[in-house]
Formats: sequence, C-alpha cells, structure tokens
Amino acid sequence: MTTAGTSLERRPLAATGIAIAAIVLVVVCLFPFAWMALSSIKKLPELFTVPPHWLPNEPTLDNYATVFFHSNIPRYFLNSCIISGGATLFALALAVFAAYGFARFEFRGKAWLQTFVLVGQLLPTAAIIVPLFITLRWLHLINTYWGLILIYTIITLPLSVWMLTSYLRGIPVELEEAATIDGASRLGVLFRITLPLAMPGVVAVIVFCFVTCWNEFVFALVFAQDQSVKTLPIGLAEFSTEFNTDWGGVMAASMVMTLPVVILFLAFQRLFVGGLTAGATKG
Amino acid sequence: MARPSPGLMFILPAILILMMLIAYPIVYTLILSAVDAHGNFTIKNYANVLKPYVTRQAFQNLIVYVGGSIVFQVILGTAAALLLNRKFWGRGVVRSITLIPWVVPGIVAATTWAWMFHTEFGIINYMLAGAHIIPGPIGWLTNPNTVMPVLVAINVWKLFPFVAIMVLAGLQAIPAELYEAAKIDGATVWDEIVQITLPQVRPVLVAVTLLLVIWGLNAITLIYAITQGGPANLSLITPIQIYQLAFVSFQFNAAAALSVLFFIVAAIIVAIYIKVIPSSAETAR
Repeated sequence: MTTAGTSLERRPLAATGIAIAAIVLVVVCLFPFAWMALSSIKKLPELFTVPPHWLPNEPTLDNYATVFFHSNIPRYFLNSCIISGGATLFALALAVFAAYGFARFEFRGKAWLQTFVLVGQLLPTAAIIVPLFITLRWLHLINTYWGLILIYTIITLPLSVWMLTSYLRGIPVELEEAATIDGASRLGVLFRITLPLAMPGVVAVIVFCFVTCWNEFVFALVFAQDQSVKTLPIGLAEFSTEFNTDWGGVMAASMVMTLPVVILFLAFQRLFVGGLTAGATKG
Repeated sequence: MARPSPGLMFILPAILILMMLIAYPIVYTLILSAVDAHGNFTIKNYANVLKPYVTRQAFQNLIVYVGGSIVFQVILGTAAALLLNRKFWGRGVVRSITLIPWVVPGIVAATTWAWMFHTEFGIINYMLAGAHIIPGPIGWLTNPNTVMPVLVAINVWKLFPFVAIMVLAGLQAIPAELYEAAKIDGATVWDEIVQITLPQVRPVLVAVTLLLVIWGLNAITLIYAITQGGPANLSLITPIQIYQLAFVSFQFNAAAALSVLFFIVAAIIVAIYIKVIPSSAETAR
C-alpha cells in the first residue's frame, strides 16, 4: 500500500465516517449469507412464522440431514466436482500453451487470433446456447459429463488465456533464453522454467475456472437434465415443487454449495485478485 | 524468437476448440434461422419473432435491467473501492468480505434473496414494516411496480464487488506523488477524488463497464431463478425469451432467428461503447 491512505491522519473526523461506511459495507455483503445460514438451522414451522424470528428458538440440523441423506444433493455434489474439476484441467492445459504462444512468440495473424479468443468471452450465452445444444446432441454428449466439461472448457478458456498471457509477459524472458542456450527444448523451458515461475497466475486461473464452472446455471439447465449428471445449481431447484418450497432444505443445500467456493476463494484471494486485475488492466 | 511456426503450434489447440464450439455454432445458427422445418430457405422466422409485442417488451426490460444495474454497480463499486483504499483497522477482513456476494453462486444468491423478499415470511417486509417505512407486506416479486427494481437491486448486490476490486487495483496503481503534490497545493479530499483519483482510474472503469455490459446482456440466472420472467412478462428479458423459445416451446428456428438478432444488437452496443465512451468521458471531464 503506497497511496491515498495517508490523508486519514490529518482528519480525525473522517475516521468515524470511514468506520460507519465499513460497517454498512460488511452488513450489506454478509446479511443474505447470514440469513441463509440462520434459515438453514430453523425447523419448518419456525421458518413460516409471522413475524420472523431473528435467531432460531430450537436450532436444528434436520435440514442438513434432509440434504445429505434424503435428497440427490450428495450425488450432484460429486457431479459438480467431476465436471468443474475436469473442465478446469482442460481449460488450464489449453490456456497454458496458448498463453505461452501469445506471450513469447511473434507470428502472422497473432493480433487477429488474440481478438478471436476475446470474442469468445464477449459472446452472449443466449446467442450460442441453441447451436451448442444441437452440436452436442449430434455428438451424443447431452446428459454426459463430457458434454458439460467441453462446454465449461470453452466458456472459461478465453479469460484464462487472457489472465495467463499477461502473467507470462511479466516473467523476464532472459531466464528462458539462458535455459535455451543450455540446450533445453521449448517444452522443457515452458514446464521446467516458466511454469514454476508462473504458479501464482496458474493458481488464479484454476480458482477462476473452478468457481465459474461450479456456479454455472444456464448451460447445466439445458445440457444436464438427467440425475446422473445434474450439478448442484440445478439440484437446488428440486426442493421446490409447483406448490411448495422446502425453504429449510434450500437454505441448507445453498450452504453446502456455497461454502466450498467461498473457502477456496478466500484461501487464494490474493493470488486470484492479482491475476484477474493484471489480466484486465494490462491485457 | 521470430520463427513463425512454434508460437502458432502452441496456440492451435485452444483456437481449434474455440472454433469448433463457438465459430461453428454461430454459422450453424445463421443457417438455422433462415430455414423452415423442412430445410427450405425462408425469412419467416425473423418475421415471427419480430412481430409479437413480447419481443419488444423483453428487449426493453433487458435495457432497463442492464442499464439500471450498471449505473449503481459502478457508483457503489467505486465508492466501496475508495473506502477500501483508505487505511483503517480490519481493512483486510473487510476487503475479503466485500468479495463474498460476487463469489456466491448466482443461483444461491437468487434463492436467498427470493426467500428474503418473500411476501409473508420474508425478513425484508418484516424489517421495513417494523421501521414503518412501508405500511404492510409488499409482494415485491409479484407487484408490477417493484419486480424490476428489486431484480436490479439484487443484481447490483451481486456484481458491485467486482467493480470494487478492479477499481481498487486501479487506485493502488496511482503514484503517491500525485497526492503529495495535491496536499502541498492545499487540495481537499473532494478535490483529490475529482482531480486525481477519478481521471487516473478512468481506464479501469471503462474496461469494467464494458465487462458489465457484456455480462449484463448475458444474464439469465438471477431473473430466471427468481421470477422466470413474470409476472406477466414484466421481468422477461431477451436471453430468457430465447431460452424459452428453444427449450420450452422447442421452436429452434425461431430461437435461432432471435439469437442472431440479439447477437447483432449486442455487438452494436458493445461496438458503440468501445468507440464512444472513452472519448466522450474525456470531454465530459
């Protein structure tokens, strides 16, 4: 931190204002999350009480028991892990090569190809969902892990390439040249010299891909209609019927679904934010 | 390092898969939109989707939703970033917490807010009625006057943290000397914000707003999960209309025609933004 913070000492009155603003910000960001957590440990009659209770009179884990033992959520959790993990792996592998190519080489049509990759990020989901459905159906990939893994690979790939390219550009090329003189191959240089140095960027891409896939809703809704491949976001809807919603179950399932990404994200927050802002401000 | 082939070889796998699953489907949509059920050329699909009032309504809703969201996302996100750039006790924790709305899965945000806005049992009606801000429970998500503002508010909550981190990164890149010089000249906090901070983070704001426009045009999850476009299509937006045409009423050709139109309009909006905003922001200042 090098910047504007210093002006605070000059104006003691500002400190109060800042404290109040910070508290408001925290409350706004956390309130829905807290209400979700509180609702998830209330019994059904207490959820449907007027006026609502802030804290549960008799906290219960019944809703979690429902989610873990009497719903498809555990299966969907597994599906989400497989699909998000698989897509992350593929997107990362493709992005590492592509980013290295963009960051280290000059060739004809490079600017054009970089634009093409970016356009992939700009396409509206709604505009490609129909043709993707038809393509996947033709490939017999509807309702398969591979179908969603393929889709998630392409929706995370453009930003992954973008983030990694700007990260690799920041690594001095001299290190690679030294290794090349010592007789290392291109791939050897990439995997033994460059990639280890780019670890923070790689981790940022992994977190980005995994969280994006884990949270994705619309493609999963269209391409995974069978219980064997449904992911968590789709599973959440199963607690609602046409007439009734088991709000306790929904909130418990929401917790189960949210905690992994929040923990993952907070653990790697510094790397992730660094990678993302580098990609967006320099890219 | 100027040999042409190796760089291309590194990029080829990524390009091929993007071609296969993005470029090809786009071409296929174009074809699909211009043929009838028997594969004969026709422009009827376009006429069929352009004619009904619902198409115009969905597009108007989309503009209101995206426009309204972006204004508040940028204002609140920038304000949060300015706050998080100040030194105060516990700043690291507050920075982390600010990111949570953005990280929470969209569908979870949707269901949790739907539960909080519940007419009978929702905590929001309870709090507002308790504070005598509203006379009685409001059906936020079923009332034609409130449904769009509520959806915009939820969308703002979800994405202002993204603006905040990006702008914060921009703020941290501003050289401290600029502020030192301003201090010597006796500038107030307000002067500092208007004269130094905002001009310096303008490139970040431009990039972020562009992303917000694109994501906004993409957005389906929140509205689909909360209202499915209702009541009476008042919160229906074009992406949901496309989804429903294709996967609820299975009119793939009509859905493809609407996709093409939507894609063109979205591309024009993005192109206008890229061309106009940077220069007009310069003169407006």
